[in-house]
Amino acid sequence: MLKNKKLIMGLGALWSLSLMLAPSWSYAAPLIDDDKESTDSEEEKEEEEEETWVYLAGGDVYTGTGAFLRGAGILCHDDKIEAIGFDIVVPEDAEVLNIEGYSVYPGLIALSSRGLFGGNGDLEYSVDPFSDNMLLAVAGGITVAVQGTEIGRLNRGRIEDVVVGKQQFTSLSYSLSNPGGRKTLREKFDAAETYLRAYRTWEGAVRSNKELKEPKKTGVDSHALAVLRGTEKGVFRADIQQDLLAIARLAQRYGFRPVIQGCREGWLVAAELGRAGATAIVEARDRRNKSENLVRPGGSSIENAAILHRHGVQVAVAPGSGGISMDGIVGRDIMHMPVEAAFAVRGGLAEDVAIASMTVVPARLLGLEHRLGTIEVGKDADLIITDGDILHYKTFVQWSVIGGRVVYDKEAELYLAHIRPRPVEELAPEVPVVPGERDEEIIEAPKEETETPVENPEEAPVEEPAPVDDGGEGPPPAPEEPPVVPPVDPPVDPPQEGSGDG
Amino acid sequence: MTFTKSILTGLVISSLVASASALAIDTKRADEQAAATLRIASDGEVDPGAVGGRGLAIFSKKLVLCEWQGRDVINNGVIMIRDGKIEAVGKRGELLPPPDYALMDVGDQWVTPGLVEMHCHVAGRFGLNDMVYLANPGIRASADVFAGNSQLDLAVAGGVTTVLYIPGSGTNVGGQGVLVRTGFDTYEASVIKNPGSLKLAQAGNPERWLTRPNRSFMNWNTRLTFKKGVAYAQEWEAYERDGGVMPRKDPQWEVFRNLRKRDIHISTHTQIYQVVLMTITLVHDELGLPFFIDHGTFDSYRVAEEAEKRGIFACLGPRNIDVPSASFRGFAGSNPERIQGVAAGYQERGFTRIGFNTDSPVIPQEELQLQASMAVRYGFDESKMGTLRGLTIVPAMAGGIGDQVGSLEVGKFADILITSGDITDPRHTVELALQQGQVIYDAVNQKRRW
Repeated sequence: MLKNKKLIMGLGALWSLSLMLAPSWSYAAPLIDDDKESTDSEEEKEEEEEETWVYLAGGDVYTGTGAFLRGAGILCHDDKIEAIGFDIVVPEDAEVLNIEGYSVYPGLIALSSRGLFGGNGDLEYSVDPFSDNMLLAVAGGITVAVQGTEIGRLNRGRIEDVVVGKQQFTSLSYSLSNPGGRKTLREKFDAAETYLRAYRTWEGAVRSNKELKEPKKTGVDSHALAVLRGTEKGVFRADIQQDLLAIARLAQRYGFRPVIQGCREGWLVAAELGRAGATAIVEARDRRNKSENLVRPGGSSIENAAILHRHGVQVAVAPGSGGISMDGIVGRDIMHMPVEAAFAVRGGLAEDVAIASMTVVPARLLGLEHRLGTIEVGKDADLIITDGDILHYKTFVQWSVIGGRVVYDKEAELYLAHIRPRPVEELAPEVPVVPGERDEEIIEAPKEETETPVENPEEAPVEEPAPVDDGGEGPPPAPEEPPVVPPVDPPVDPPQEGSGDG
Repeated sequence: MTFTKSILTGLVISSLVASASALAIDTKRADEQAAATLRIASDGEVDPGAVGGRGLAIFSKKLVLCEWQGRDVINNGVIMIRDGKIEAVGKRGELLPPPDYALMDVGDQWVTPGLVEMHCHVAGRFGLNDMVYLANPGIRASADVFAGNSQLDLAVAGGVTTVLYIPGSGTNVGGQGVLVRTGFDTYEASVIKNPGSLKLAQAGNPERWLTRPNRSFMNWNTRLTFKKGVAYAQEWEAYERDGGVMPRKDPQWEVFRNLRKRDIHISTHTQIYQVVLMTITLVHDELGLPFFIDHGTFDSYRVAEEAEKRGIFACLGPRNIDVPSASFRGFAGSNPERIQGVAAGYQERGFTRIGFNTDSPVIPQEELQLQASMAVRYGFDESKMGTLRGLTIVPAMAGGIGDQVGSLEVGKFADILITSGDITDPRHTVELALQQGQVIYDAVNQKRRW
């Protein structure tokens, strides 16, 4: 997929458009045909949009895939993760962020939110990328949020690429309190099931007999059909155990995987929900006594998330409020999603599962697990860099990379910068290590940034010629060049050593 | 890893070794369930450590003492409990329990004093906001207490063992609070002190009363009320000292006798710095009555130095941050541009008596610990154990019961929690709670409630 995409991008807007419209078998012809035109359009493209490279150096990377990479680098190219690891060649013009000692997590995903994009309605046209709410949501670690039915990226400072997709949810109700509604829903699924069966029979038969007519969709509920086909997710808002049990059985009967919001008494019927392949969106601190009419155990349980997970139910943890609360009470809004997850841990949920409940599980629910939720090559570059364990109450997001750009730096924003500011860099200024012949030239380089090495240029260079390859930042051709370059003129353009040190 | 050992008849005691890493909690708990051992005494039996029972010695890798301006912790210690009170605290190996004592080794789990809440509205049926008169010092919250209710059940599971149940802030003087224990089922067993406080609401709620009074009238009315009360108390004091004609007893003013003896304190709903300053000057400086700042939020930290000079206590909450008034809030405050942690604001100004409250049900009672952890998140320095003290000894002293609860000190009630670690962190749980030596919550053998 990625290769395909690059190919298309390389060909430029005109060609890619024509290619996308043309049937796939015509690919080869234009590729070989016209070299010239394609390079032209490439230039055009460069003018339009420059490539961005961001390199996060030396962070402890919690990938979310099971791997925890200490001191690894992450290279982001435009809005994608290009490379993760320890020996990454970093382009010279990359923005380098030294995050040694900090942790990197996949960006958090809010499954429902209010007002994070600074506007209401249509995301694309109402977004306010400078709004305080967006800033605070990003400060809380959120990178992608659902507003209404739209999935948006908290692309601070930009109005482009805000919309990531549309939430393919169908709201369903199957409650004891509404027997008529239950019957109607079953009938919808029955009709959809009958239709699907007929359609599949036709699909097979039509190959041999082209005259056969496609079965008619009349009377078939399109959402029920979409749920059975798996193109939409059936979402139930349900809390009491009888309802949950009924939903689990309904889902098994018709063969779809239900999503259950609330799921308060899920811990009592977790095995059934697990068998139905359910996903639960729970509030870890949900707190309600059981019905007084109920003899059996009931009500909320702090262990709900843990028990559900133990029985194979995927759990997404969501705080009680989808908005940013600025009334002074903290720890319960979307800005404090990890606090909610920490309470799930209190109830016995393993910590990696708790992190997944804010990242990869929501991504899966939105059908975007190929782009979001974990730190992997090829996925969207939505990352948060924290000063510690994301589930600890003291941890702050220090930087956020969203859509491949550094859009948040705690120190640079008004609101939280004063709280435990980052320790000032304590390392001595970097002394360039170069082969002896090129001393003068190279020593000039850091002059613009720091004065110290220039004061006694004779002492600065290290005697032993060492490879210049420190993480790919140094000028790669240096070792070969020395004999050729005359050391007469002081270089106007110093090698781009310090370009990324900021 | 779990191992058990049995000691004497009827009592089996577990040593639950808390996992070193919280990552392992999931599996740990399953093991515990299987090897559940410590049980709650059935009717007729008395728990060791409780009143009338044998003594109990608990060994732990960490005893969190929470002494006020004293020791923080004892590592590898032992605490001895008898007749519902703490009998001795010391190092393991140095302090030897008598032979008939039941022994409990909790391994890596911490022993912490029960948490203390000075602003609770859930210990009753919420019949505590009568707003007929703007000042009504005679009304008692004790009449409304519902011991052992489901919210207190959860509170216990969250580690809260003592609460001050107080009237609301719909009027300036809402009535008398009552100090109660959370773990018992009857009022008689629960009550620690009645009256437990007098509730004063300076501003920021009573404005909604019938005639929509403003601050100047409210302050005038409060001053008048308090002066009447003080005069009443002085009349009785003169009688008790000099004899003479016995003054008439008036339940409306009786509470001022307790206040004048400094037996109880005024819990003051006060916030926004001008209002807090009014409380300090009126109640402390002018009338000389003991009070503590309850709430103390918004930008009240601006008067922290004045409060510190006078040795006043503050229980902060439920608001934890003061947000910039320019962009987010129009109605109070003078904070220009940063999100200011309230507790951090006090601390930065050298204020030392910082406690936390929930104003439950505003914040659920069981989440008292979260108030401390969120204070840390927004800048409060916890390196001197200000969080655990702010949840225990500080509110206890604020409410005038610092000599009875709030720390693991000899002679205090044995209100003790066995926790999986620092209870400030929401990920850590209360595994066992004792009140006056009696087991009131056992997460291993009962259903985990929180």
